[in-house]
Amino acid sequence: MMIKFINEYPISKTFTFEERIALLRELKIKQTVEKAKTGGANEDDYGLIVQNSFEYKLKPNHENGSIYGYDAWVENYCSILESHPLYCNPLDAFVGKGFLFLERLRPAGCKWNPDYPYDDLKVLFDKYNVVSGIDNCHHFTPDLLIGFELGWGGILEKLERQKEVHDGSHLAFYDSEIAVVKAIIAFLKRMADELFELAHEEDNPTLKHNLFEMARINRKIADQAPETFREAIQWMCWFSMLSRTYNRGSAGGQLDEMLRPYYERDIENGVLAKEEAVFYLACLFLQDSRYFQLGGPDVDGKDMTSEISYLCLEAADKINIACNLTIRVHDKLDKVFYKKSVAYLFKNKQGWPRYSSDSALAEGFMKCGFSLELARKRVAAGCHWMCIPGMEYTMNDTVKINLAKVFEVSYDDMVANEPKPSAEKLYETYQKHLKLAVDATGKGIMHHLKYQTKSQPELILNLFQHGLIEKGVNITDGGANYYNMCVDGSGIAVAADSFAACQQRIDNEKRLNYQELTKHMKANYEDRDGEYIRQLMQHSERYCGGESLGDAWAIRISRLYTELVRDLNNQHPGINFIPGFFSWSNTIAFGKTVSATPNGRKNEEPINHGANPCSGFRKDGAVTAMCHAIGAIQPGYGNCAPVQLELDPGIANDDEGIEKMAAMIQTIMTTGNTLLNINIIDAKKILEAHQDPFKYPDLVVRVTGFTAFFAMLSPEFRQLVVDRVAAVNTDKT
Amino acid sequence: MPGMITDIQRFSLNDGPGIRTTVFFKGCNMKCAWCHNPETISKKNELHFYAAKCIGCGRCFEICPQKAHVIVNGVHKIDRNLCIGCGQCAETCYAEALIMSGKAVSAQDVMKEILQDKAYYQNSGGGVTISGGEVLCQKAFALEIIESCHENDINVAIETNLNGPHEAVMDLLGKTDLVMCDIKLLDDDKHKKYTGVSNSIILSNVLKLDRLGIPYIVRTPLIPGISDSNENILSITEFLKPLKHLILYELLNFNPLGAPKYASLDMQYGFGAYTPLPATRLDELQTLVKNAGLPAKIG
Repeated sequence: MMIKFINEYPISKTFTFEERIALLRELKIKQTVEKAKTGGANEDDYGLIVQNSFEYKLKPNHENGSIYGYDAWVENYCSILESHPLYCNPLDAFVGKGFLFLERLRPAGCKWNPDYPYDDLKVLFDKYNVVSGIDNCHHFTPDLLIGFELGWGGILEKLERQKEVHDGSHLAFYDSEIAVVKAIIAFLKRMADELFELAHEEDNPTLKHNLFEMARINRKIADQAPETFREAIQWMCWFSMLSRTYNRGSAGGQLDEMLRPYYERDIENGVLAKEEAVFYLACLFLQDSRYFQLGGPDVDGKDMTSEISYLCLEAADKINIACNLTIRVHDKLDKVFYKKSVAYLFKNKQGWPRYSSDSALAEGFMKCGFSLELARKRVAAGCHWMCIPGMEYTMNDTVKINLAKVFEVSYDDMVANEPKPSAEKLYETYQKHLKLAVDATGKGIMHHLKYQTKSQPELILNLFQHGLIEKGVNITDGGANYYNMCVDGSGIAVAADSFAACQQRIDNEKRLNYQELTKHMKANYEDRDGEYIRQLMQHSERYCGGESLGDAWAIRISRLYTELVRDLNNQHPGINFIPGFFSWSNTIAFGKTVSATPNGRKNEEPINHGANPCSGFRKDGAVTAMCHAIGAIQPGYGNCAPVQLELDPGIANDDEGIEKMAAMIQTIMTTGNTLLNINIIDAKKILEAHQDPFKYPDLVVRVTGFTAFFAMLSPEFRQLVVDRVAAVNTDKT
Repeated sequence: MPGMITDIQRFSLNDGPGIRTTVFFKGCNMKCAWCHNPETISKKNELHFYAAKCIGCGRCFEICPQKAHVIVNGVHKIDRNLCIGCGQCAETCYAEALIMSGKAVSAQDVMKEILQDKAYYQNSGGGVTISGGEVLCQKAFALEIIESCHENDINVAIETNLNGPHEAVMDLLGKTDLVMCDIKLLDDDKHKKYTGVSNSIILSNVLKLDRLGIPYIVRTPLIPGISDSNENILSITEFLKPLKHLILYELLNFNPLGAPKYASLDMQYGFGAYTPLPATRLDELQTLVKNAGLPAKIG
């Protein structure tokens, strides 16, 4: 059953850490090609292994074939752990590979418990193309330090102790969590036993020694707290696998600070060498593509960059795959560390690291009523999102309102009912419909909070929340300290450009009227003169054009959206709703629901990516103009409207170029922007890879907030990345 | 006073230190055979036609007062003898197949664009670069922009061919933070042949610029078979060696991007088949300069 790589090298073979990393990377690329050939995915890599040796058949507790509530999730999860095989590569420092996600074994369309319907809201969600987040899971950050401190055994003891002090109304919670933790401990002990067996089987002395060490560590951390650097990372690897296997549970945390005490202690005790630490970190990045933050201010504002922050960069450089590392930029950030991170970004061209802005994020979050100290604890943990580890429930990146669809509904409403249509009348109509969409979304979030436990309790991430075990309730039932619900708008550029085109071409220049435009749009601009009118509208003053009409409309839409989302706080006291702009990988799906729009976009074409402009926003594609405009539409309450940049590698192929890019990133991060994702892509190479994805199997791109192997993406998604690269690689004068 | 420009390019990384905005002046007093920005040579408005972008709407035929849009052998052409560069056709061409090179703008218009990236200049040690065309052809306009930039604490560099009367040149250079000038060929006969003018006034101005004490960069475009010989580079290097305020001698590889522009203007271009120098040759030339003791860079 187990997947192992035993006795693959001669007995006499010795290995340096460098060699082991290179061999592990080579295998990773090979596995990625296999994974891509079996279907690929438009999302994170997750470190998931595609294999044929293990399959799990869901045991449903509902007639629709799905699982709902504590009992079914516990039963299925524990069953998986009982039979889940070990994946072990003796070259690796760690074990912890997973093969499946329980949440994805449910039948399609059966995630939400049908006993808790929301049909009235579904009508509005369909009308405005809202992804409600109802039935989605995780997307908040556990505090792994709880696990570091207690170990699984300590967590079990805590659960049993708290169960005693609660009445019977909490039994379902405690019994479920206790069963899960016991299953985890048994699973980890079995893994350790199997590692001992493998150690005996392996003949190469170096690898044998490594396997014995792995076995020893795994036996210890099955129930005890980790004590060394290597033990702590092994514990993290298993945590990743265990939370992914349950429901793809996400997020890492402030990696350098989490590991610093272990690193410093081991170095002081002489049991760890720097080179060895880099190897362990590289193996951690290989194990899973989790989101980690490096650097940034501690609660007192002091920079957290330490020696281990540098080692994290070095390790990522050596393994050089899809790493999701974020550097938090602030005025006291270690300048050498920052510069080094920029150099790695351009050297490896793998989309890491990315950058977040401490000032914009902290000031925004404080406006929600939080202290500066808490705001600084809110670390980058997902595609576009921040979270305080162990303190918040957020539904981050799961709730999206398609602003382009709301525009379409508003436009149709106006031309049908308004005798004197204009951009201003259109905006009045838009205000009405956007409020309906936002209010419905708010109600959807409340419905999710009320009934999510009946669908899918968070049995793993619950254990890493401060005070939750003490309260004895699932995180959606009041177990979190704060409820900061993420509500993202998507398609802002399509909406802003459409408003601008109507105002400029119809109201101001009187090139055509609304009736004529409507006729052309209904014909998808394919009727007589349709293409001419499309070009006319498309070349209006665009969002990110630089103090253009499109920029002004984007700001207006952002202010309106922000106001409406914040008003949800009045409608649902005790819950904090935070606006942002992001589309994740919904750009294609959202586009398919929207017919031709006044900005010259044709039927079903993708909407813009996140807060980015539509392609062709400026002749020179100036990133400064783009970043200035995106900075201006930030909602400003601590969530993000990220900048996604695609840059040619040629712009920073020497020290001077790196200096310029470092200055550019710093400026972007200090002019209102919250988060910056950068792809360094050779336009020619990506075109070749688009034609033949397996020509460059190790090509990694930052798709949205996440990085992924280009070969893993669907042709539609590859096209989107190619289009974005083309948009900013116009011939320069 | 309005000036004629072809373009303003923000986030410019190759026109001087740091992150810059480059303003391209229209009109030049030289005519380099290899020029990759042919639209900046003439002072007049010029019409580009990019046939691949044409959607065949026919608006340009209807609106042109000169009837300069014609069909020749079934192909849409522009009769350059008739076209007066009024731009009416380009205004109706939203597909951007017809584009006018040249717009009259005020210094205030230019400053509005420049100021948007001020934070980037300050953080990167960048600023504004006035390029061309030739800045000396619109000196008053250039001075107005320089003055406005300095009022806003923005550094200004100019790219110039130094082909102008000494007094006029120094008047402008004295107000600039950085000068980037070209010495294309040291052999005067060749210089005349390929640029249309003698290099004597240019070389004389370089010497005077040095005496002025302003930091400057000298560049040589490496045109295969014309200016990329060891002899040319070494002779320029020898000329530069005694100078005190030269901060860099930059060798600019041949830029092959001009061909589509020439075609769009119906201009002949003799360098369409030329390719940039390989990296090994660039290294050789850079080494020649460095060995002579000058700071060198490949641009």
